[in-house]
Amino acid sequence: MIGGDVRLDGGAAPHLLLTVPELQVDPIPVEEVAPAPCTRACPAGVNVKAYVSLIAEGRFAEALAEVRRRCTLPSVCGRICHAPCEPACRRSAFDGPLAIRALKRFVTDVGDGGEVAPAPITRDQAVAVIGSGPAGLTAAHDLRLGGYPVTIFEAKPELGGMLRYGIADYRLPPDVLDDEIAAVLGAGIDVETGHAISSYEDVTALMEGGYDAVLVAVGAQRGRLLAIPGEDDTAAVEDALGFLRRVNEGDRAPIDGKVIVIGGGSTAIEAARTALRLGAGPVEILYRRSRDEMPAGHEEVAQAEAEGVTFRFLAAPQRAVIQDGRLSGIECIEMELGAPDDDGRRRPVPIPDSTFFTEAGRVLAAVGQEAVLDFVPDDDAAMVDRGLLVADGATSMTRWWGVFAAGDVVSGPATVIEAIAAGHDVAASIAAYLETGTPQRPRSLPPPAVEYGLADPPPVEAPPLRPRILGLEPGAEFIEVEQAYTADDAVAEARRCLRCGPCSECAACAVTCDRRHLLVGLAPDGATRPRRWLPLRTTMAVAARLRTNGSAAAGVAAAPDAIDAAVEVRPVVVDYVEERCRGCALCLDVCQFGALELRDPDDPESRVVLDPAACRGCALCAAVCPTAALKPAAHADAWWDAVLGGIFEPGGDDGEGAAVVVTCDTHPPAGRDADGDVVACRCVGQVHPGMLLELARRGATRITVETCADCRFENGARLAQQHVDETRALLAALGGDAASVTLVHAPRPEAHAADAAASDVLATSLQGGGG
Amino acid sequence: MVTLTELKKDTRAFLCNSCAKCSTACPLDGFAGFSPVRMVSVGPGVEEVREQAVAAQRCLTCSLCEIRCPQGVHIAEFARGLRREAIDGLREPCPHGRVFQAAAVPEWTGQIPSRDLSWIDDDLRVAETGEIALFVGCLPLFDALFEGRFGVRTTDIARSAIRALNQLDIEPVIVAEERCCGHDLLWGGDDEGFATLARANTDSFAARGVELVLTTCAECCRTWRLDYPEAVPEYQPRVQHLVEYLDERLQAGELGFRDDDTPQTVTYQDPCRLGRHLGVTDAPRRLLDAAPGVELAEMDRSGADAVCCGTAGFIHCDAASRRLQAERLGSASDTGAATLVTACPKCLIHFACAQNEDGRRNRPSPAIEVEDLTIFTTRMLAGLEASSAGTNGERTEAVT
Repeated sequence: MIGGDVRLDGGAAPHLLLTVPELQVDPIPVEEVAPAPCTRACPAGVNVKAYVSLIAEGRFAEALAEVRRRCTLPSVCGRICHAPCEPACRRSAFDGPLAIRALKRFVTDVGDGGEVAPAPITRDQAVAVIGSGPAGLTAAHDLRLGGYPVTIFEAKPELGGMLRYGIADYRLPPDVLDDEIAAVLGAGIDVETGHAISSYEDVTALMEGGYDAVLVAVGAQRGRLLAIPGEDDTAAVEDALGFLRRVNEGDRAPIDGKVIVIGGGSTAIEAARTALRLGAGPVEILYRRSRDEMPAGHEEVAQAEAEGVTFRFLAAPQRAVIQDGRLSGIECIEMELGAPDDDGRRRPVPIPDSTFFTEAGRVLAAVGQEAVLDFVPDDDAAMVDRGLLVADGATSMTRWWGVFAAGDVVSGPATVIEAIAAGHDVAASIAAYLETGTPQRPRSLPPPAVEYGLADPPPVEAPPLRPRILGLEPGAEFIEVEQAYTADDAVAEARRCLRCGPCSECAACAVTCDRRHLLVGLAPDGATRPRRWLPLRTTMAVAARLRTNGSAAAGVAAAPDAIDAAVEVRPVVVDYVEERCRGCALCLDVCQFGALELRDPDDPESRVVLDPAACRGCALCAAVCPTAALKPAAHADAWWDAVLGGIFEPGGDDGEGAAVVVTCDTHPPAGRDADGDVVACRCVGQVHPGMLLELARRGATRITVETCADCRFENGARLAQQHVDETRALLAALGGDAASVTLVHAPRPEAHAADAAASDVLATSLQGGGG
Repeated sequence: MVTLTELKKDTRAFLCNSCAKCSTACPLDGFAGFSPVRMVSVGPGVEEVREQAVAAQRCLTCSLCEIRCPQGVHIAEFARGLRREAIDGLREPCPHGRVFQAAAVPEWTGQIPSRDLSWIDDDLRVAETGEIALFVGCLPLFDALFEGRFGVRTTDIARSAIRALNQLDIEPVIVAEERCCGHDLLWGGDDEGFATLARANTDSFAARGVELVLTTCAECCRTWRLDYPEAVPEYQPRVQHLVEYLDERLQAGELGFRDDDTPQTVTYQDPCRLGRHLGVTDAPRRLLDAAPGVELAEMDRSGADAVCCGTAGFIHCDAASRRLQAERLGSASDTGAATLVTACPKCLIHFACAQNEDGRRNRPSPAIEVEDLTIFTTRMLAGLEASSAGTNGERTEAVT
């Protein structure tokens, strides 16, 4: 069958030959395919390998930009992050992990924060963020960059939440925090400090006051006490968090005598070291499990020990002992580790008859935190679970429609990077909610775990280098203890990176490649993490996957009922090679379907573009195209040769040469008195002088071109006439018989109507489902 | 069948040191993956050869690269050799529906007896036998397509040629059995078809006693002078472009221009077949110099360094062709000349096509008239009355 893309089988439903023309190959971001262990370990998905690689190259500004992509508070994380990436580092098994956190701190120190310009406001729905800790700041920042007006409400006079009031200055200097927060706010976030949300009415007032979504990120501000007899009778037993808050607010009153800190987490260490700095001595940490179970990072513990903090493990307080109205010490009991409990840690069990007394002038309880939820009405018990706010795990929305919650207020006390991760997630949910009405954020699949073999010890470029820690000096108790790397040190340390995975993922190629050799770019993927297109031609090629695209495919999907049977996947449109196009625009005059247009009508140099969805394959354009940029797909030279071969079989003619009728394929040959070999094609207008001359050359003594009296393709008959005239002139010049080529008008047969109807169905469905 | 090794030997491509001077000279380099240096240094792998055979379709074979090649590689010939590889199924589609290839193919079933010579006006004197013949070539075929499409009538070139020869009291032989010279088949890689045409043409010209073949087409001239002797060694008439012949007669004092020194400035497009392939660059300039009132303004690149009109023969045409045409017309216009004359009907057609497109697209088009040198010269010869010369060179109204 020649040339047709729509056929009729006895009037039945048309069989359609469909094409899904553009299969595009998309590279997928490498970090989603084979993330390095460090990157995979980061709750916020900071691409560790990328920025470490950039540091190793001495490209510090780019490294900082890479960190900022997922880490809203890089200077803070560079100092106090618990760095889960470091234990994940494959170098841990040899000479120790890279000092990743210290490397991050280094680039934030040397990197130029620059002036942060406010992001444009492109949305009219406003968001209120209650609380200015890392979760609140991150969510506010994401939403603001997403174009939403955002206001942060903070009860305290200064922003930062637990970063400001829970972390002591010797670890996180206030001016560093100030700069960091200023950079975040620089995106254009409004702030109301001293604005506490302490009642349900305060929340509803926000909703009614023009905010379309509210994020509760107030953290877990209240430290728990020990729940032992006597603790309420003295002010010398207090919660460590309250103690730290007081100190961070400026109360640096000296402490005399022995201080005992109860707990094994970061807050306990923080409180102990702070007490030491206020003159206390000795300072002992009492923990009911052993050193291995301590939630605090081992670096913190080591630094505390170096400063003189002592530890007593496997002991728990039982009673505060008060003598003469003053605390004299606590009564404790020794513990042993029993069976593992729910979280896998072995449960401490008291040892009978092991009670002992330990002297203490002050006891700081660092045994847990809970949220201050006085804005939740008492009768709304389902909002609260074990002192924390309840929010949906997948959407972060609370039971109150439009009110979201994230960070410690939901999870309980967690780390800063986990709060940042929660901030990113809730921002995505809020954006989805404001855009679509449902808070379902785009699911980001957890990156796959990739086993990187390590058969041989890695090359040692430099010995591991941890940052230097200052000792506790009188008069300088609260200056920052950890010293920053020099540039040389940072580069040397970064060069230890094994760069697990296919490439360094630094995406420097995306910035430098101004030609389109590399399929690289930064493409926002909804409101979630930006997707980075990586070069297809690198080792990433393995990551390529197919995705269908194109209006034709979309149209087919939109109108499946119009498609009875896709019997063959084959182009129904003309072939077009744009680089051959001279831009003469002759084809525009003959295409009645608008399938061809100039790429840029205002540009005189513009070439033509072909819309495959609109093309109906009449190929009249190909007949007028002077350069063969447009070619009839079904009438390719091979097809034409086959037709000619069929007509001019050796010995097949009767000696008088062949008579050939070139006709429209809607003419049923049986219903007509054909007086020669019939060449049926989609439209006779596409049979150009080259084809007719070839027929003559092969010995056709009579060539009849039959046009339809009412051509379904407007210009078919006109072109056929022109081609016949030109062929006659050519034959005449060559000395042949011009009269052997004639043109006749044939009546349009009945089948035409049905065919036209089928064509219309196809065209409609391919042009977008009749939408 | 010529092997790649033989082709490399024949064209000196073995000497290529990959300096890429050819690519820097090539007006097409980088367009759609074509690169002369890559083509010439193609390795022996089958796939690689086929890939470069397809790429070689794009070569203009204008030989601009060859004047830069320090090793003297015959790069255009190399492209031609590679195209033989492409002839089976890999051939790129030819412009204009391959109509000229179809017309050229020698095997016509039910042989066409002789060409229609009715275009020869009654006042023109031609002969059936004689020493001097005019090879008309495809000019009447071009008219069948292009006169209607954009108003170029190339038979006027042949008429002018006969008129000029008549003025020298020569009645040129016009051979009705004339076939296409085979240039496009040869450069398209069809050696066999070309050899058949060369044999047919030389047979019929030899039978008429022709000793000097004149052409008005640079491609016909090159083919007759360089390629026919290889295909048909036993018949080697003198071959000249009419421009060369008129120049000789002018130098001999047998030809004179009429007294009309209306000043006009013209510029000259060297056809690559005439300029670089045959080294004929001075004769047309001497003719123009001698013409009264004519001042020749050279384009920034002329003579051996002239840039191609964008397409050799009717083998390949695309966006790069258009770009070259636009640039070349711009260069011509920049000289301040009112007329661009050329000595090849292909150049004439291709430039006219570009100008016609500019008109269609309302593009700014360089303001310059394009004319054939034979017509231009003949119009100014002494003894030819303006009235009789008037039929020459007048374009019919362009059909838009």
